[in-house]
Amino acid sequence: MSIRIDPDLREVAALKRIAEWRGRHVLEIGCGEGRLSVRLARLGAIVWGIDPDPARIRAARRRLRRFGRRVRVGVGRAERLAHGAGSFDLVVLSWAL
Amino acid sequence: MVHALRQAHRVLKPGGLLIDLRPAPAHRRVGIVSGGRYRRLGTTAESLDLDRAAERAVRRVRRAGLFRLETGIRFDCQRVLDTPADFRAWVEEMATRRAASSHDRLIGRVERAFARARTARKLIMQGPVVARALRRLDPRLTS
Repeated sequence: MSIRIDPDLREVAALKRIAEWRGRHVLEIGCGEGRLSVRLARLGAIVWGIDPDPARIRAARRRLRRFGRRVRVGVGRAERLAHGAGSFDLVVLSWAL
Repeated sequence: MVHALRQAHRVLKPGGLLIDLRPAPAHRRVGIVSGGRYRRLGTTAESLDLDRAAERAVRRVRRAGLFRLETGIRFDCQRVLDTPADFRAWVEEMATRRAASSHDRLIGRVERAFARARTARKLIMQGPVVARALRRLDPRLTS
């Protein structure tokens, strides 16, 4: 299945209007295959993405390799976050609620 | 959902922002673009129960003093598909997450529209998405 989501980047325009992203530590919940993670990284964020689906996380790792340590992903669930208290400047619920 | 929002509150720094990005509770418009012209074919028929439950969860954590709504933006988000098979696969995948009535008639319309179009064509699904910024509060200070 080949679907291009938000090709005209309206989502990015909205995100830029509601928050400052450069240099911010961001947890993206529901990162899937990293579609939004790429966009957040291009805005300058340091992203940690989680998704409950291991196959999607494997695909995200391949897609996000070029960003190095600025974008990391792992299997995880919104209801049981492994991160410590006060770890992030921003948390993004990416079509996850 | 409330538990997920409480977890987000926990891992946010004091004063941090929760960005809640998700489709607005509305059905998506489906149309075909061919020869530079758009023609609407119909709308999806998805259950909106999950969207409404998410709205309730956000209201609950705001009432509990965990977050304050700072701003919200609504915008149209497009999905572009190249073939009717892509649309059928999307419908099948969507139906596993959201209870939906049959889309067979809409899939039939998409297939016929693709077959009739003589020039390059693509399918556009479009629906409203809402991005909300919620500021993390300390409930001990707000109560």
